[in-house]
Amino acid sequence: MKNSKSTIIAPVTLGLIGVFMWQSQMLHRILGADTFTMPLPARIFGIITENIAKILFNMQATVMVAIGGLILGSVLGYLLAILASNFPKWGVGGLSVISSFNAIPIIAIAPILNNLTKDFSSDPNTRSMLAKILVVMITCTVSMSVNAYRGFIELKPFSEDLMRSLAANRMTVFFKLKVPNSVPYIFTALRVSVPASIISAMVSEYFAEYIIGVGRQIRENIVLAQYATAWAYITAAITIGIIMYVILIIIEGICMKGRR
Amino acid sequence: MTKLQKKKLTDKLVILVWIIGLIVIWEIGASIVETTKRSPQNVLPHLSQIVESVFSSKPVSNKQTAWQIVTSNATITLLRAGTGFLIGTLIGFILALAMNFFKLVEKAVFPYLMMIQMIPILGMAPIVLAITQDIDKSRIVISAILTFYPVATNMLDGLKSVEKEKYDLMHSLAASNWHIYTKLLLPTSIPYIFSGLKIAAPMAITASILVDTLQGGAGLGTMLSQSLKHAMSIYVFWQIVFFSAFIGILSYKLMSFAEKMFSPHEKAKGSR
Amino acid sequence: MRKISKKFVALFVFIAAVFSVYANGNKEVAPAKSYYASNATVESIVKDAATKGQVGNWGLGNEYEIQALLTKYNLPTTYLSQAFDMDGFDDDSILLASAMTYNELGLVKNDYDGGYGYGNKVSFIDMNSEGVAMLEDNLFTKADFAQANPNTVKAFIYASMKGWEYACANPEEAAEIVFNNGSSVSPQHQAYMASEVKKLVETDTAGNPVSIYGKMDETAMAQTLALAKKYIKLEDSVAAKALESMTLDDIRNTVFWDEAMASAGKFDVEKSDVSIQLKWLPQAQFMGYYVAKDKGYYSEVGLNVTIVPGGGDIGEPTAVYTGQVDFGVTWVSNLIAAKAAGMDLLQIAQVYQKSGLVLVYKTEE
Repeated sequence: MKNSKSTIIAPVTLGLIGVFMWQSQMLHRILGADTFTMPLPARIFGIITENIAKILFNMQATVMVAIGGLILGSVLGYLLAILASNFPKWGVGGLSVISSFNAIPIIAIAPILNNLTKDFSSDPNTRSMLAKILVVMITCTVSMSVNAYRGFIELKPFSEDLMRSLAANRMTVFFKLKVPNSVPYIFTALRVSVPASIISAMVSEYFAEYIIGVGRQIRENIVLAQYATAWAYITAAITIGIIMYVILIIIEGICMKGRR
Repeated sequence: MTKLQKKKLTDKLVILVWIIGLIVIWEIGASIVETTKRSPQNVLPHLSQIVESVFSSKPVSNKQTAWQIVTSNATITLLRAGTGFLIGTLIGFILALAMNFFKLVEKAVFPYLMMIQMIPILGMAPIVLAITQDIDKSRIVISAILTFYPVATNMLDGLKSVEKEKYDLMHSLAASNWHIYTKLLLPTSIPYIFSGLKIAAPMAITASILVDTLQGGAGLGTMLSQSLKHAMSIYVFWQIVFFSAFIGILSYKLMSFAEKMFSPHEKAKGSR
Repeated sequence: MRKISKKFVALFVFIAAVFSVYANGNKEVAPAKSYYASNATVESIVKDAATKGQVGNWGLGNEYEIQALLTKYNLPTTYLSQAFDMDGFDDDSILLASAMTYNELGLVKNDYDGGYGYGNKVSFIDMNSEGVAMLEDNLFTKADFAQANPNTVKAFIYASMKGWEYACANPEEAAEIVFNNGSSVSPQHQAYMASEVKKLVETDTAGNPVSIYGKMDETAMAQTLALAKKYIKLEDSVAAKALESMTLDDIRNTVFWDEAMASAGKFDVEKSDVSIQLKWLPQAQFMGYYVAKDKGYYSEVGLNVTIVPGGGDIGEPTAVYTGQVDFGVTWVSNLIAAKAAGMDLLQIAQVYQKSGLVLVYKTEE
């Protein structure tokens, strides 16, 4: 119990020290930064409270894109892993080819998808939403497919043979052995995908036709040199990230109960 | 032909078939786009057109051909990515050691390491620029910031994976901390470090391209964005898309190769 | 096994359904009308495009003139985000697209590499004649830099304006100099750009010729500030208040320009190695600076100038303010926004005398 207390107290203490040093400009003196590009916390907080409605509105748009792409990408990645594990000869090669998509920068993928989704809808909000979700999907598919595939093949020694010898058919082996075995690997993938989904959602917003979202607001304000406002939105982005990550950890805790 | 050689050959064939499949899908898409769009080369050109642009001797800008632009700017970007990667790896290394040595540091610092990864580069860049006063230094620093995280987390996992019995044994043999680290902890964590490096290397490259776009000058990202703005042939953009994917995969392979060099005893097991 | 195959069938049906919706969507999108009659009034065109939600602009501080125009015709000030190419205009998702006369308009009309080749099948709405013009490319520096290095600032203004004068007198040669010094863009497009930029430098918003380069016209500056106050929306209440109470004296200082232009071209410079950050890619939009460097005008006044291209997301005000460069070229509205946020910047010359922003549309033919 003592252990878990310090898990919370230590980072909070460090955070408070950090905020204090930031607000008192000690941090600025150490780094050689100015209060302009690194605005003070009090001012950032002031902007957040004054514009909370607008910030929440933009957060909602970003969260929808991030979660939509995360779900689509993870489901697709899992399905690909199932296919790959059922046809290992072809699947492994396919997975390694698909992994190469991760080597293309998002700033190159986003404009391509923007152009490709132009005909999807006559409503710019709908079609840019689709383009953004697809960008996030691409970033999330790879880590899920690679990890889930490992979950399907890295079974306990002889467990599959044992089940087979008990005359279990492929379906039973799949649902009773492989799927449960892949659960921890799903969470490994999600722990990478959740932060990645938010970052790629924000970058895709830079390029989207319809002007909305935390990422777009950050860009507008940085370009216009409104750093304090930009940091209010960056705080919003980090908040989304922390909330989604904590939710993931809670779900993981529930799903993995009794496994360890 | 041994069984192993045969397997390797089929593996290669499989990948080839997959690549051909992707090419076919791309080409179908390009054919549809060709008939429905007024400027298909901006949406999805035929692969043959991209290949043609690589070999074209027509200068697209400043007396350079498209391919010359890509290669000359790639050198600059890759150099920055490489420097950033080295610095990032070093920072990751030190952080992992510090976090393993002092449990309190791990608890206090780790959540913030993750939070730093959530700050968009665009927000980070002006601060770094104000501190370094130089855009190229800023580009390297940001590449480093984006790469240390996978190295640090994976190495920390590696250091923690050492079985307690072995650790206790070393202690009972009155080994010094230095010995424990060099003889036990570091060797055990090598595979973990490399799985971190394998994530970090392609990331350093995509990050470096992204950071290029923050300001004018030279670099793959700068050319990519100039090409998107139609300041030069759009094929420069398409070439960079493929080039960056290729370099990313190459950097991954390079790390796998280095891994084999560093851990010869792993060879027998046939590392994946 | 049967269960799995059922699931696969369901999946395929789902995918097929998505594709059929997509295909149907395709048919519906075919726009009924994406062209305007050549005799259509500005009001009717703006109204039509705005009600369909198909007016485009890049945003990021480039949108104020468009918003002022929309307000003029009692329309909502929302617009579509236009990429930095004209693909959206080309594929009809944007009916009324923003374009700079010297850049995008040329790409739309001409058919050299990167161009769309519309020729005379397009027409445009001019912000100057609509009375919503805001001044664009200026020359600015940091206030304390100007105070500490007054002769350097004057020398830089003097040599730069000499460069602009030569460039406007010889646009073709200027285009060639830019093409050879810059890192991008076709020579034909540079020649087009130089000829268009010359018009912006030598004509004011009312269409009268201007013979002195870099002059800060009081009326045009005042109009720019007034429109900026109305359309720059700042969420930071401190910055918003600063914007509201801003006067022309806060953003520009005419003394340096006056003294530089009245001088005989001899300066005792405090700092000889200086740099200038451009607003955009290296192109004829900035030909005056390239010419001044190429023709040795900068070295004549004792300056060694480095030209830094722009076009990234770190704006020129930030680059100048953080001390990375000494001078910058930006739009007056962007300078106003940066000033409101607290950056102590100062405009020292106004190179473009009228707005180069237009809204381009396709015409029936």
